[in-house]
Amino acid sequence: MPGFDIPANIVEQTRLAHSIFLLTVDAPAIMDSTDPGQFCMLEVQENNSKDPLLRRPLSIYKTGSNGQISFLYKAVGKGTRLLSKRRPGEIIRVLGPLGQGFRLIHDCTSILVGGGLGIASLLLLAQGIKQSGRLIILIGAKNAAEIPTVEDFSRLTRYFHVVTEDGSLGQRGMITDLLDQTLQEITGTARIYTCGPWSMMKAVYHMVSKRNIPCQVSLEAAMACGIGLCLGCAIPKSNSRGFLHVCQEGPVFDADQVHWGQNS
Amino acid sequence: MINQKKSTPISPDLSISIGGLGLKNPVLLASGTCGYGMELDDLLDLDQIGGIIIKGLSIRPRPGNSPPRLVETPCGLLNSIGLENMGIEAFLRDKLPLLRNIKTPLIVNILGNSVEEYFEMARRLDGAEGIKAIEVNISCPNVKAGGIAFGTDPETAASVTHAVKKATGLPIIIKLTPNVTDITEIARKVASAGADAISLINTLLGMAIDIKFRRPALANVFGGLSGPAIKPVALRMVWQVVRAVDIPVIGIGGISTPDDALEFLMAGARAVEIGTATLIRPGTAEEVLTGIRDYMKTNNVQNVKNLRLPA
Repeated sequence: MPGFDIPANIVEQTRLAHSIFLLTVDAPAIMDSTDPGQFCMLEVQENNSKDPLLRRPLSIYKTGSNGQISFLYKAVGKGTRLLSKRRPGEIIRVLGPLGQGFRLIHDCTSILVGGGLGIASLLLLAQGIKQSGRLIILIGAKNAAEIPTVEDFSRLTRYFHVVTEDGSLGQRGMITDLLDQTLQEITGTARIYTCGPWSMMKAVYHMVSKRNIPCQVSLEAAMACGIGLCLGCAIPKSNSRGFLHVCQEGPVFDADQVHWGQNS
Repeated sequence: MINQKKSTPISPDLSISIGGLGLKNPVLLASGTCGYGMELDDLLDLDQIGGIIIKGLSIRPRPGNSPPRLVETPCGLLNSIGLENMGIEAFLRDKLPLLRNIKTPLIVNILGNSVEEYFEMARRLDGAEGIKAIEVNISCPNVKAGGIAFGTDPETAASVTHAVKKATGLPIIIKLTPNVTDITEIARKVASAGADAISLINTLLGMAIDIKFRRPALANVFGGLSGPAIKPVALRMVWQVVRAVDIPVIGIGGISTPDDALEFLMAGARAVEIGTATLIRPGTAEEVLTGIRDYMKTNNVQNVKNLRLPA
């Protein structure tokens, strides 16, 4: 259950937009046991350097039939910038697959709501739902450059909509307005699966909980181990003094388990 | 045919003893970085390790501190987990039975808010099947003395040691905080109060500020610094304590390679604990163990105790 810690060969490191990269590694053991919504801890530094010290958690974006797994990530901090400099042929240690992914329920309309690079944890889910259920995909971003892989999603369903804040892709607008409109149009039962900025997921949850629509969210937190050893990745629970741990109980939670009041 | 003279490869003896507890080797998993033990199963061969030190338990469950609880610093990790744990009863009931098949000795780390709590914890562990020793975290605030850490006052550190020794016949390891002026003074006090061994160092108190949001990076403001950044400080303190007391000393602090561990063993540590490194690379303890064995073979060191430098 805690996954595999393996040295993985880098097959591809492609810059898709200004600071957005697609990294593909050979990791058959991880690929074989990956569920949608799970993540890996990736070593970013070279030559056993101790700075930065920690691995970085990244959602598994894609799996290939050839034992490969891909990560879609943004080089924002020291760690991910170093990761983006690693080249094909190099070996990096990858620990995974980790955490509890999405729980798929097929007998209803599934609405995926992705904000910015939050789409990185939704593709495997979308592919899974496509097999057997009605799939609506809604994606929002600041601009087109933030979501360079939308075609991976648009080809999965004809119920695909994208909005950007600057109108550089799809309609100009906010994802919450798009969701609101969609919820008014659909008939029958629905479920929401979402990943994106905290404020977006909070707004999505509030919007759908009023309609009693179940909602699963994929969360992020600063994390040292990814396997429940350090308890660093705590998020307040909605109904008690305790905490949820993103790495082990998550990263996917039922949205009503989470205390959304905090800023994050 | 030329007679090639081969020196017989030695098979180094890594076994050690701490307060009467025999360990097959001196590489232990540090409390707070190996969970309740089973989290690392499959990622590490737990049977190969010298000892497993279960995360700090308190008399009642503790929810821990509000997030953010972690900040990465150069070559280090600052944490303010707040000693989140399920409490001793839940551990004994739900976790300990799962650990019965592991051949490696289990050591439980305990923490308390008062001397009485430490006593009570040690008493409850005394009869628990499978527990071979107790490590006592004295870096916690003494609630009755205005929140000053037990481990920063020699007298209080000694009274905690007395209390746990009275409560149990299990070997007692007192884990020292480095946040003191003279570590040897505390070490001498706990040794004369009956401690069977001393482990050090716990984390160094530190902080970081988020300049973007203009607030302390940890919700708790201060946190404990661990990782390679603290190794030189830890090594210095281990060296001092080894020369100040007659009981075994266990070295902790930034050990992530065999070389790091060898430095501590040369400083005179009887054993070492692998902490933060396990979070980053779960198999570190096994790699360290292999590296120590290889070093001993290469350098013809028969017994791990002989690594200690004379000075």
